[in-house]
Amino acid sequence: MKDSLYLAWRYLRHHEVKTLLLVLSLTVFLALPLVMRSMSRAMQQSFLARAEGTPLLLGQKGSSLDLVIEALYFQRKDVEPVKKADVDAIQSTGLGMAIPLRTGLRTQGFPLVGTSLAYFDLRKLRIEKGRGLALIGECILGSEVAEVLELGPGDALLTSPSTLFDLAGVYPLKLDVVGVLEPTQGPDDAAVFVDLKTAWVAEGLGHGHEDLARADADLVLRRQGDTVTANAKLVQYNEITESNRESFHFHGDAASYPVSAVIVVPHDEKSATLLRGRFVDAPTLQIVRPAQVVDSLNAQIFRFERVLQIVVWTVGLATAVMFVLVMALSWKLRAEELRTMTRLGSSRWKALQIMTSEVALMVGASALLAGLVGVLMARYGEPWVQTLILRSS
Amino acid sequence: MISLRDVRFTYGKGGFSLHIPELFVASGVRAAAIGPSGSGKTTLLNLISGIERPASGEVSTAGARVDQLSPSARRSFRITNIGFVFQQLLLVDYLDVLGNVLYPYRLHSDLRVDATVRSRARRLAEELGLGNLLGRLPSELSQGERQRVAIARALVTEPPVVLADEPTGNLDPAAKHKALDLLFEQCDARSTTLLMVTHDHHLLDRFSQVVDLDGWGSPEPMTP
Repeated sequence: MKDSLYLAWRYLRHHEVKTLLLVLSLTVFLALPLVMRSMSRAMQQSFLARAEGTPLLLGQKGSSLDLVIEALYFQRKDVEPVKKADVDAIQSTGLGMAIPLRTGLRTQGFPLVGTSLAYFDLRKLRIEKGRGLALIGECILGSEVAEVLELGPGDALLTSPSTLFDLAGVYPLKLDVVGVLEPTQGPDDAAVFVDLKTAWVAEGLGHGHEDLARADADLVLRRQGDTVTANAKLVQYNEITESNRESFHFHGDAASYPVSAVIVVPHDEKSATLLRGRFVDAPTLQIVRPAQVVDSLNAQIFRFERVLQIVVWTVGLATAVMFVLVMALSWKLRAEELRTMTRLGSSRWKALQIMTSEVALMVGASALLAGLVGVLMARYGEPWVQTLILRSS
Repeated sequence: MISLRDVRFTYGKGGFSLHIPELFVASGVRAAAIGPSGSGKTTLLNLISGIERPASGEVSTAGARVDQLSPSARRSFRITNIGFVFQQLLLVDYLDVLGNVLYPYRLHSDLRVDATVRSRARRLAEELGLGNLLGRLPSELSQGERQRVAIARALVTEPPVVLADEPTGNLDPAAKHKALDLLFEQCDARSTTLLMVTHDHHLLDRFSQVVDLDGWGSPEPMTP
């Protein structure tokens, strides 16, 4: 057997390109189910872990899955917003804490998330560099954002305009970076966090400009009671600084300002039940348990995985047929070598042994590689899935 | 020693047949087998080595009644008692020179590669002028060098009998004589019996015995 293995090894080494291609094909065949299963498990676990860390979620009626995806992963699903008043209403019940989330805006390609300080406690987010949010106009970067944009405390970044072609639209707002979060291997790494009011300013609901009381008379078009109308020459601020911070203000009723979703952290299970009860028949709002929504999503993923399994087995069968074909052709081409072996005194059994050894060596190498892929997937599958699927919008 | 008596052999039904009334090659003798195409030269080598089994008659090689051995015993006998040099040489393209010389040792459980065998193979390669080519593949050698590898492979098991089937057929006259010199030298040194099939009548005076197969073979089956 040792000699058969030796001859098989020398043959495979000599035909390294063919061997490599066959080993890689077999590796794909063996690793594909492992990768698929690992990815599916990683995806399900990743979804579930974050969902379980979010007790309840309040949002506008509609797709509960879109609401969960937008609120938990900051992926833009264009869910209809609720009002700031709804956040206050939850808070006023005394049954739990309401954490508002304003999503939908982006800055340098990353999602901009307006929220309250309680969000950082809920997600156990720690500041790695700098400090937490304190003033309007400040932002904290997720670890990946800081790494990719090479930014840190003391730097600044601009929000992205909603559309480049709307000159009358919202202009970018310059944000001061005051802190960077520790990595969490989750969507928070790839987000920029600001105070809810800053988010509203960024989307044009609040603004700052020159003091009209002290502005040149030629800027004022009309004065009617407390309402002053200025012309377009009035300087609007695109950065919130120490000197102009006081000038930033909001028009209209703040209670009607939009909030994409509200994370609700009930005090206990009873409070959770009561809260859910209050929104069962709400005409425009829904309150969901993200874990339940993700469970149903996972069930869909599992069903899809079963379909994929059929595809994988089909690919596997094709690979196996190709492998057998290549080996059969290879041995046909080596007929002379087999004849020489027989003439010198070797048995057919020996030839079969060599052939089996070649297959065994290739299958062994492929199994080893596939195993390695499996180990890597088990170790790094979840963060990889996070990066590859969950963070891409 | 090679001895055949009243040997009859037929390929399939109604195919080529061969009748060897008597053939004797003493130990240590260099014999040449000649004859026109189809006279059964290669079949003769196959019968002597036990690759083929005669329908009748006696075949004795190196003291063994080859015709009476089982297929497995004939294989075992062949690999330990017969050295082959083929016309096409049939070297293994994925093994280097040393690997090719040791090739018979990889093919049968009766033979084992150990330090003694390795040392013998190296010495043999040195004697045949292949000492500095041990790591080369057949594709990296000249025809003459490949010829010498084939000779080394035939002799490495120190067989009592070497059968060569037109081993110089593809060489120019100078290379032919050089190859024969080496083969004879090695066989003489080991008192090995050599039976070589050849078409080249100019080489016959270098052999101590010539076996002419003309008339022994027939395209039609022979009747006893």
